[in-house]
Amino acid sequence: MPDPILHSHGLEPFLSSISSATDCAEQPGIRIGIEPGLCHINLRGDPGSVEFIDAVNSVLQQDLPLAANTMTTGNNRIYWLGPNEWLIISSLEKDKDRVTNLRESVRGQHACVTDLSGGQLALRINGPHARDVLAKGCTLDFHPSVFHSGHCAQSGLAKTGVLIGLLDDGSEFEIVVRRSFVDYLAHWLQHAAEEFGVEFSVI
Amino acid sequence: MFLIKCPFCGERAETEFSYGGEAGINRPLDPDALSDVEWADYLFMRKNPRGAHKELWNHAQGCRRWFGVERDTVSYRISRSFELPAGDKGP
Ligand SMILES: [Zn+2]
Repeated sequence: MPDPILHSHGLEPFLSSISSATDCAEQPGIRIGIEPGLCHINLRGDPGSVEFIDAVNSVLQQDLPLAANTMTTGNNRIYWLGPNEWLIISSLEKDKDRVTNLRESVRGQHACVTDLSGGQLALRINGPHARDVLAKGCTLDFHPSVFHSGHCAQSGLAKTGVLIGLLDDGSEFEIVVRRSFVDYLAHWLQHAAEEFGVEFSVI
Repeated sequence: MFLIKCPFCGERAETEFSYGGEAGINRPLDPDALSDVEWADYLFMRKNPRGAHKELWNHAQGCRRWFGVERDTVSYRISRSFELPAGDKGP
């Protein structure tokens, strides 16, 4: 059943309110892309169980990151959230039955698959000043020697709970935030990034 | 910045954590068997030491796990963080 909320992002009023203000000819210091239409799955299970790991890997075709504060990319983006907890982000279009398939694969095990697609939204942040803007509202160390590609962390950004990961080539962050906070966070980002020039778009 | 080491995520700023009080206080298995004095002792009485203190912290804006910390209540120095024993998942 197609759910309209999964293909909207809730930032439509925000975007229309700033559309006239962001027409700058210069290259923006930070670009923020809004990613609707993604499947967010919270997965819990025992990483020490071969049965669990095999079942999950067979559905995802990708290894779960087992080291703290790391993520893997491939068919999905899989984030380590805790010692027995992961977030799996993939395209809703590509695999409509992902939740069902995952659930089926771990049936009978001490594991849990929760669909969070309607409750979370992902933002992509890049540009030469992306790290500067994030550092304004977050206590994590964003120096490239510390926060490198494949690194992720849950933390607070402008007091909002977020998951932040640095994708493949180290130039683009993905930020996952609860939908009810995304309007607030977008306003905060726009304000924090104003000095560098900021551009919002829907991916 | 006051850093606390989560046993799972590593060192993070204090703002990511919430405090859970003294560690090692287990809910009585059979509350009905307790006298009012014993129940009040479980509920309200804490050691509140000046110096080394074993306490609970939750990594609220991180992995959301409860864990234990040994902290000096005078210097605030944290000597160690530890995972809670199996079965004890915090308050
Ligand atoms: Zn943690």
